[in-house]
Amino acid sequence: MAVIENNLEAYPVSPHANRGGLKAGQSRMGLLLLLPAAIAFSAVILYPFLSALGLSLFEFTVEMMEPRYIGFENFAKIASDPDVWAAFWTTAIYVTLTTLGTLVAGLGWALIMNQPFAGRGVLRSLSLLPWVLPSTVSAFVWGWIFNARYGVLNAFLMELGLIDFPQAWLSTPQGAMLAVVLTKVWLSIPLFMSFFLAGLQNLDKEQIDAARVDGAGNFAVLRDHILPHLRPVLIIVVVLGVIGNLQQFDTVYALTGGGPVRATTVLSVEVYRRAFEQWDIGYASAVGVLWVASLLPPAFLYLRMLVKGN
Amino acid sequence: MNSITRLIGTAAIALALGPGAVKAADLSFMSFTYAEEANKAIVQGVLDDFQKTDKLTVEPLGFAWGDMQKNIFLRARSKTLPDIAQLSERWLPTFASLDNLVDLNTVYGKDKLEAAFAPDALAMGDINGKQLAVPLLSGSIGMVANKEVLAKAGINEAPKTVDDFKKALVAVRDKVPNSVPYTMATKNNGSILIDFMVWNWVHGGRIIDDAGKVVVDSQQSRDALNFMVSLMKDRLAAPEIDRPDSRRLMGQGASAFYLDAPQTRTFLRDFSGKGEAFDANVLPMPTPVLKAGDKPVSVQWGHLLVQFAAGGKAKADDPADKFLTYLLSDKVQTDLPLKMSALPVTKSAREAVASDAYLKNWSAATGDARRNEVGIWSNAAELTQIIGEEVQGALLGQKSTDDAVKSMQARLTTSMEKAKKSE
Repeated sequence: MAVIENNLEAYPVSPHANRGGLKAGQSRMGLLLLLPAAIAFSAVILYPFLSALGLSLFEFTVEMMEPRYIGFENFAKIASDPDVWAAFWTTAIYVTLTTLGTLVAGLGWALIMNQPFAGRGVLRSLSLLPWVLPSTVSAFVWGWIFNARYGVLNAFLMELGLIDFPQAWLSTPQGAMLAVVLTKVWLSIPLFMSFFLAGLQNLDKEQIDAARVDGAGNFAVLRDHILPHLRPVLIIVVVLGVIGNLQQFDTVYALTGGGPVRATTVLSVEVYRRAFEQWDIGYASAVGVLWVASLLPPAFLYLRMLVKGN
Repeated sequence: MNSITRLIGTAAIALALGPGAVKAADLSFMSFTYAEEANKAIVQGVLDDFQKTDKLTVEPLGFAWGDMQKNIFLRARSKTLPDIAQLSERWLPTFASLDNLVDLNTVYGKDKLEAAFAPDALAMGDINGKQLAVPLLSGSIGMVANKEVLAKAGINEAPKTVDDFKKALVAVRDKVPNSVPYTMATKNNGSILIDFMVWNWVHGGRIIDDAGKVVVDSQQSRDALNFMVSLMKDRLAAPEIDRPDSRRLMGQGASAFYLDAPQTRTFLRDFSGKGEAFDANVLPMPTPVLKAGDKPVSVQWGHLLVQFAAGGKAKADDPADKFLTYLLSDKVQTDLPLKMSALPVTKSAREAVASDAYLKNWSAATGDARRNEVGIWSNAAELTQIIGEEVQGALLGQKSTDDAVKSMQARLTTSMEKAKKSE
């Protein structure tokens, strides 16, 4: 048996070999592959964010040619601005309702789509339709559904005899909030359903059969077996849902424009209005910074779960 | 040649040709009319004719009316402003501080401009003695009625007073099923502002006086808002109505009255699907007055043209200025405004189209055309939002008229003080 020489210097090394060995070469390659994404991230996310962070310390309105440094004055103004606090509150309501709504609807739909029945494949494919449609298009479609004069919703409810006159859904605070929440729930169901469906397909069928043999009803099976099994998926879906709904702008703006009055003015709409309707760039940046700050806890939770391998 | 070499070669050619392609046009023209389906062909015709006449090419940049201010503002920040831009008259004060805006008195001479333009039209582009814009179209925002709907409701003549107006609305509501008698703007702050401003004037009120003092907290303004709220309560107006909705409902014979600019005839031709045959139904009428003998009011309206150039300096023989000169020539002014159902802005063109029946009727109905008392301030966008929100709150029953007026006064005052400090 040949004896392996322990002295590595004794072995010849190719002049083309990577310095630092295979691992270091892979790292360099990894960094190189990461570079385009890092450049894009820096250009479209990091730079605008840092720029907004800087602008939040300036007064910069349409009347001014150059921004004026004012320190934390914008943040002090926000503290006493009822409109911004109202936007935070509206955002909280919107995020809670859309996340809960999508959770319930997505899970319910996933449970149905997990049952064996004829045409299940087609229906599963069709269920992805809201995901495929651009969200602004969906918002306009829902706008027509809720339209006071021509809306399908009014026609349907009048046909059922539930209302006597067409209702102006988008002209009441509650109706407008309901409309933006329903639209977002409808748009998000496919994503949530896909997560839940993947989770359900890993569920041990024998466990369910055994529970049924023991006399468990549908609700007991859901409570004691399905939901505990889906717990990791549920947590991920809730965190992603909260992040996505906190960022939501297009459906709300296209459907209600933040109105009536300010009933659906979530933080994203507030920032947009301040920046691009009133051109108060400094103040809008300050509100935007706080908005990003509100995104940090769920984002941190999500990243922590990713790192932990959940 | 391998595929990577080919790719690099293609990229190099594209890079070399790219800037050339961008520079292909002699000037750029940002226009909201160009983005309107009903009017795009009209503007394109003007651009084509200009190219034939002056051998200069124009790159048209069409943006929706609602997106124009945002685009100009963003382009100003990124230093990619167009050479010429079309503005609504109420936007000019907002952009007056941009240092690339050309004072057209320095290009054409004040005397020459005054000799060519009708004074009311030229005044729309004047900010503190500088001619920061020249008018393209002019007119007023006043009341329009649908004769066919009025006939169905048994109304033989346009109502003259507010009381007559309300009676006419009740008749339309009762006799024309599924109609919105008066399509008052109840959404979109910019549209709500116009309706409130007009009814406030009708009731003798003001929002902001000429010195910039907010004066909306008055009995007259309360009366105006109460009047608007009463229209909602009596189902004479409806929620979720913006100006485009008004035009569509009028075009479909489902509305009798609304406030709009003379250009409305072009939209109605399009939205009714009847083309010029619908013109017979369009009746420009004086805005009803509070009591007989009062002078009807309307809002000055127009489209302006501004020029952007480095340092705000330009010469009459620059391509952009040749284009401006062309747009204001008799050839264009006796044609384009008529096609868009608006008044020309030059003296000679106004004389040439004086016999146009529609424009004649519109002018006769104009009455006292007042300057938009909100649009003239640099913080007009914020003022418009405040007024829109407060009026909408009252119209939709979310707050009393008294609360809305008080809140409007307080918020507008804060905004005006902030704007004065920033100047």
